[in-house]
Amino acid sequence: MAKDPHRKYEIRCPVHGFIQIDDWEREIIEQPAFQRLRRIRQLAWTDLVYPGAMHTRFEHSLGVMHTATLLYDSIVSKSRDLLKQELAYSDEGLGRDRKLVRLAALLHDVGHAPFSHSSEELLPRRTGALKFAHEDYSAAIIRSELRGAIEEHPLNANTGFRANDVAALIEGGAAAGRAVFWRDLINGQMDADRMDYLLRDSHHVGVGYGKFDLQRLISSVIAIAPGGKDDHSRVGIEEGGLHAAEALVLARYFMFTQVYFHKTRVAYDIHLREVMKQILAGGRFPKPSGTGLKEFLRWDDWRVMGLIASGRAGEHGRRIIERNHYREIYHTHEVCTEKDLRELKRVKAKLGNLLVAEETATKSWYKSGSDDIPVLSKVRTPRVQPLSEYSKVIAGMMEKNNQALLYVDSTRREEAERKLKRKGNQQR
Amino acid sequence: MSDIQMARLATIVALVERHPPLGRTAVMKMCYFLQTLRNVPLGYRFTLYSYGPFDVRVLSDISAAEALGGIESKTVLYSGGYGYEISPANKSRSVKALAADFIKRYGPDISWVVDQFGEFGSADLELLSTIVYVDREYAQARRRQTTDALAENVQEIKPHFKGAYVQSKIEYLEGECLLRSLRTTSACR
Repeated sequence: MAKDPHRKYEIRCPVHGFIQIDDWEREIIEQPAFQRLRRIRQLAWTDLVYPGAMHTRFEHSLGVMHTATLLYDSIVSKSRDLLKQELAYSDEGLGRDRKLVRLAALLHDVGHAPFSHSSEELLPRRTGALKFAHEDYSAAIIRSELRGAIEEHPLNANTGFRANDVAALIEGGAAAGRAVFWRDLINGQMDADRMDYLLRDSHHVGVGYGKFDLQRLISSVIAIAPGGKDDHSRVGIEEGGLHAAEALVLARYFMFTQVYFHKTRVAYDIHLREVMKQILAGGRFPKPSGTGLKEFLRWDDWRVMGLIASGRAGEHGRRIIERNHYREIYHTHEVCTEKDLRELKRVKAKLGNLLVAEETATKSWYKSGSDDIPVLSKVRTPRVQPLSEYSKVIAGMMEKNNQALLYVDSTRREEAERKLKRKGNQQR
Repeated sequence: MSDIQMARLATIVALVERHPPLGRTAVMKMCYFLQTLRNVPLGYRFTLYSYGPFDVRVLSDISAAEALGGIESKTVLYSGGYGYEISPANKSRSVKALAADFIKRYGPDISWVVDQFGEFGSADLELLSTIVYVDREYAQARRRQTTDALAENVQEIKPHFKGAYVQSKIEYLEGECLLRSLRTTSACR
């Protein structure tokens, strides 16, 4: 009997309950390039600090697709007329782009390197000072390995997608056309990716941080008409969702400070990078084209772990096995002032060759500017204000976290502490 | 802080100093123009949104430059909307000193970008940078297009602009020899 292309399937998700997929999406999920995500951990070696952090990019990708769909449906139900007027959508066009957003959300992380962001620094150079990012690999995989599954499924007769349409929405290509409006749901300050990873990481890590009211946020998300200096429509929220949006930003702040930039977790990022430098040809991942892409897809956590387990990953591989990581000896404030930078320089000089690694955070909890979340207030006359202006809580969170952490070898920690204590430096 | 980060902060301060106050959109788009039109190696990764080419790291760098006292910003509310004004602050010189060689080398490019685009409002800068983005994507794929086709592609992304207005901005950029994918022959080639 022929396969029913309209059949629906459900996948159990620990965060969202049942996630529904159709036969087309199932076909894509079954491709080896997507199944590889089962072998890429979401949070690298975080389990060496928080043992529950064993989840993978596979379940996160399904969660992002699910969350992006909820956001999309909410926006369309509340802002259908605006979308029709400003972006010339028809009902059919909205149905088509719903599918496009689902596929882009599902596949946005398909180009991750082993252990996710931890090994990203070893992606090769593209041009000048610019390096390839995992999104470039995602787009290249979609255009090659996943092209058949996207373009040839019978359900695609209804939409006529080319793999390039999905890739363009992920990488921000001009081919996305008006669908570029939906990029805020894939890659923005209130995107489905962020909403899913905060809830999922919090769940698996087992911390109370990272929680926010997803349902409230979804119910308040809307399209906002052009106005003021903005000549374009934007994804924003109604005033009623203000506190849920604040909670999202705070969740990110707490997860970053308590989990993602945990001093020991960061130490294992350093060891992993050294391992990868040793086991990759030329110390870099191949470029995302031709045979390079095929070779890249052969890299996953299992392969790296196998090399570590077989003793072919050198000193840093042994350190991971033995949980003998570098020790943090000094850190700056989360937001460095000029004085902090001077002090950091002084501490580094004092540590001399005891210093084995330095890591610097490069995140802001929230950024004002073009992607500041617009909030629509309807008190008296409709007025759009950025979240950073609406909320005093958010206004206090816009500085860039450029905290620096300094590390020494575990066997020389006391020696380093003695050196720094002489002048009373802040230590850990 | 890495060399490239210091170069970015210094560049942002230098941009703002040359044309104060600048909006955040203006800083974002001028960084895009610097990297794309003048090949200044800032290492940003611009991708396309409905508000034009954008890299969230520019905003992070604006915040960092502000934390170091190189610039200061304030919000300006308009009827039905909002914007930002960034001006040099008392430590602008010391932030530029973080990458003095870089600023010396690329100072003429920074001045060029400010001269070329400093008088445009944020909506125009978003449109101009979107035109350049679409143009470069075609040029990179070694594809040629007519002015009409380029205008059509840009209008798909920014449907709020009238066709004639998009055309006028394409003509401006073409007149300055800043586009690469057009089929038309011009004095630039």
